[in-house]
Amino acid sequence: MDLEDDTTILTTLKSFNTFISRHEHPQRPSEQSGSGNLQPHYKRSMEFLEAAERVHSQHRYLQLDQEKKQMELSHKRARFELEKAASESARNLEQEVDRNQDLLGRIKVLEEREKEARKNLSEQVEANGSLRKNLDGLNKQLDERDAKLTTVDQTVTSLRDEIRDLRQKIQTQDATISSQTLENQELQEQLDLQRRKYLEASQLCQSLQAEQSSCSEHVIKIKELERRIALQEQDVAIVKSVKSEVARVPDLEKELKRLREDNAFLRDSRENCSLLKEEVEGLRKKLERMEKKKEELVNIELEKEVNCLALCVCRKPEDLSREVIQIQHREIALKEQNYTLSIRSLEHSQCEVGAKLTQQCGRTVEEQKKREAQDALIRRLQKRLLLLTKERDGMRAILESYDGELASNEYSPQLSKRVKEAEDVLQKTQNHNAEMEAQLSKAQEETGTLKLQLQKTLSSHTFSVMVPILVVIAIFRQKIEELEKDRQRLEEQNNILEMRLERHNLQGDYDPVKTRVIHLKLNPTAEAKQQRQQEAGAVQEELTRLRELVRSYQEGGVASQDDSSIHTPDLRKQMESSELRNQRLKEVFQKKIQEFRTVCYVLTGYQIDITTENQYRLTSVYAEHMQDSLLFKKGSNGSMHLMETEFSKTLGEMVTLHLHHQKSIPAFLSAVTLDLFSRQTTF
Amino acid sequence: MTSTLKGITLKGSAELVAEFFSFGINSILYQRGIYPPETFTRVTHYDMTLQLTTDPKLKNYLTNVVSQLKEWLFECTVQKLVLVITCLETNEVLERWQFDIECDKSSKESSAPREKSIKIIQDEIRSVIRQITATVTFLPLLETPCAFDLLVYTDKDLVVPDKWEESGPQIINQSEEVRLRSFTTSIHKVNSMVAYKRTDSV
Repeated sequence: MDLEDDTTILTTLKSFNTFISRHEHPQRPSEQSGSGNLQPHYKRSMEFLEAAERVHSQHRYLQLDQEKKQMELSHKRARFELEKAASESARNLEQEVDRNQDLLGRIKVLEEREKEARKNLSEQVEANGSLRKNLDGLNKQLDERDAKLTTVDQTVTSLRDEIRDLRQKIQTQDATISSQTLENQELQEQLDLQRRKYLEASQLCQSLQAEQSSCSEHVIKIKELERRIALQEQDVAIVKSVKSEVARVPDLEKELKRLREDNAFLRDSRENCSLLKEEVEGLRKKLERMEKKKEELVNIELEKEVNCLALCVCRKPEDLSREVIQIQHREIALKEQNYTLSIRSLEHSQCEVGAKLTQQCGRTVEEQKKREAQDALIRRLQKRLLLLTKERDGMRAILESYDGELASNEYSPQLSKRVKEAEDVLQKTQNHNAEMEAQLSKAQEETGTLKLQLQKTLSSHTFSVMVPILVVIAIFRQKIEELEKDRQRLEEQNNILEMRLERHNLQGDYDPVKTRVIHLKLNPTAEAKQQRQQEAGAVQEELTRLRELVRSYQEGGVASQDDSSIHTPDLRKQMESSELRNQRLKEVFQKKIQEFRTVCYVLTGYQIDITTENQYRLTSVYAEHMQDSLLFKKGSNGSMHLMETEFSKTLGEMVTLHLHHQKSIPAFLSAVTLDLFSRQTTF
Repeated sequence: MTSTLKGITLKGSAELVAEFFSFGINSILYQRGIYPPETFTRVTHYDMTLQLTTDPKLKNYLTNVVSQLKEWLFECTVQKLVLVITCLETNEVLERWQFDIECDKSSKESSAPREKSIKIIQDEIRSVIRQITATVTFLPLLETPCAFDLLVYTDKDLVVPDKWEESGPQIINQSEEVRLRSFTTSIHKVNSMVAYKRTDSV
């Protein structure tokens, strides 16, 4: 149709004007058909077109007829052509009509299809929305699953690690089991060994018992011998004393000498005693003689006096009797003197002898006491001997038990050493015991000899020999006791020291005289320490540097040497300036936007606000109410769509005309503006 | 060193013991976590799987020490080998693995091989290493970073080599001691034990 229009021949100015006026109509629909989504619009335009066409063709017909009539003669040919063209155009018209109908049918179909498509589209959109939601949900789930997966992975790795650890543990446990079985075997071997040892020990016990029995036999023998000694004391003791006391012979000889001297002295005293007795007897005899002589003398004197009386009768008999009495008195005094003298001397000698006797008696008593003491001592020593033998047996038993304990422990060279040492100690103690026994026997012999000596001394009243022997015995006893104590103490010390030595050895101690400890200079510990020190140094340096930095910052960030501290003020300045610029730009933008909006408002009569994203609200200057506004939404392809509001519902006509048919938002808006304006101004 | 050989010589014994030390030290380092487990690789020896380090530095150090030790074992001048584990933070000795070595010095004079098959010796060594592995169950956990050192107790008359120097015995203050198994090649006898620092919690 447009093609035909294009080829229209312009005959007159009028026809041209009509053409011009006509031209506008079909042009627009063709333009708007490009958007092609509004089916009724299109249909209507098509109808318009058709009607116009018809009118046009009729018009042309008339024109042509007029022209024909006017220029029939001059333009016959043209007319003919025109007629032809007319017929053609008629034909075309018919064709076009047919095509139109076809197209109409097609359009209907397409419309239906479009509706369906729209429905589908909306459904699709909804489905899309739901799908998107689903997708988002799925995405979330996916994320969650991913997270779960990662966690699961982590757990799997951790579990793998655990498995590995467990495997290792199993291995180690296998190892321990095998080692323990090995240990078990070893322990069984040790058990066998211990059994063997036990057998040996039992054998040793048997031997020990045998030895003990022999020992007891020996003891019995010793007792027998002692008895024999007691029986044959004198002979054997003499022989033994002679043999053992060779060294003491001079002493004994001295003692003998002394005793002999004592004996001699005692003999002398006895002789003296007998002499004194003789003297006493002599004196008695003398006394008797003297008495006799006195009597004789008295008699002679009496005779003399008688003679005197006889001679001197002249004298008075009284005088004579007085004289006789005097003489008699004198005689009596003399006699008395004589008697007293003799009695005194006798008494004196008697006293001396008695004292000596009592002394001797005391000595003998002392000797007897000492002998008893000696006997008791001997008995005690015998008891001691028995105790010592018992002790020795006990020690042996202890040592054996010690051996047993040692054997029950783990076999090792140290233990064997210890056993050897203990055995040595045992040997020593046995030797010591033997020595002690020897000493005891010696002491017994000595006691035997002492007994002999005692008897001797008793016989000869000598006892001074006993004293040194007793002292010696006491010393020996003391020595034995001391040595026994020392031995026990040393044994304990030895044990303690051995244990300490073992412990020190375990802890890694060493004898610096025999051993030296060396290690490689470049050992991992030294390296690690060095590395650590270096790291520590580096960290320290960094720390000091950072501290300085912090200090410099605290001082206000004044000129510092560090690079970073130089940068920061610059950066700060830059930041401040940029912020300032931003601020200014914001202000400027705001101002400009405000200006632009007011300009838009003034020029177009609409205030445009952005409610939400891609949604624009237009409020007219002439709006009757404040809430009268239009809402537009921007599509994804940039096209704008009117949204339904309370106000837009009242503009149904304008919407259908300007938006559905003309598809022009500015036209719609201007129409609304005009409408509102007209409403306001009419009032 | 073949198992068909019946007897054992001083040289063979020294090599066996040195080998034991190499594996023993490696397993202690692995078990006690002195070096990270990923730096170890599995090796089959003594009919058991053992961990052997792949750290080149540590390898070098161990080969140095073990080769020197072999010489001393051959000369019978070594008394003890001690592996000391020190805490790096406090420089405190936490563990001492002590291997007492008793050398039969008479074997230096008479070169006649002893009557002990290598299989039996290796069995003994295996049980010792197993026990080392099992000690992890009772030894306290090493929570701090630690390093180790090897001390060798030698005779006093030994000339100290260039790279070696004298050191202290590194005794643990307040220790618990546990004796482990021993093995003998009939020339060298190795008694092993471990001493560790007594913890207050126990």
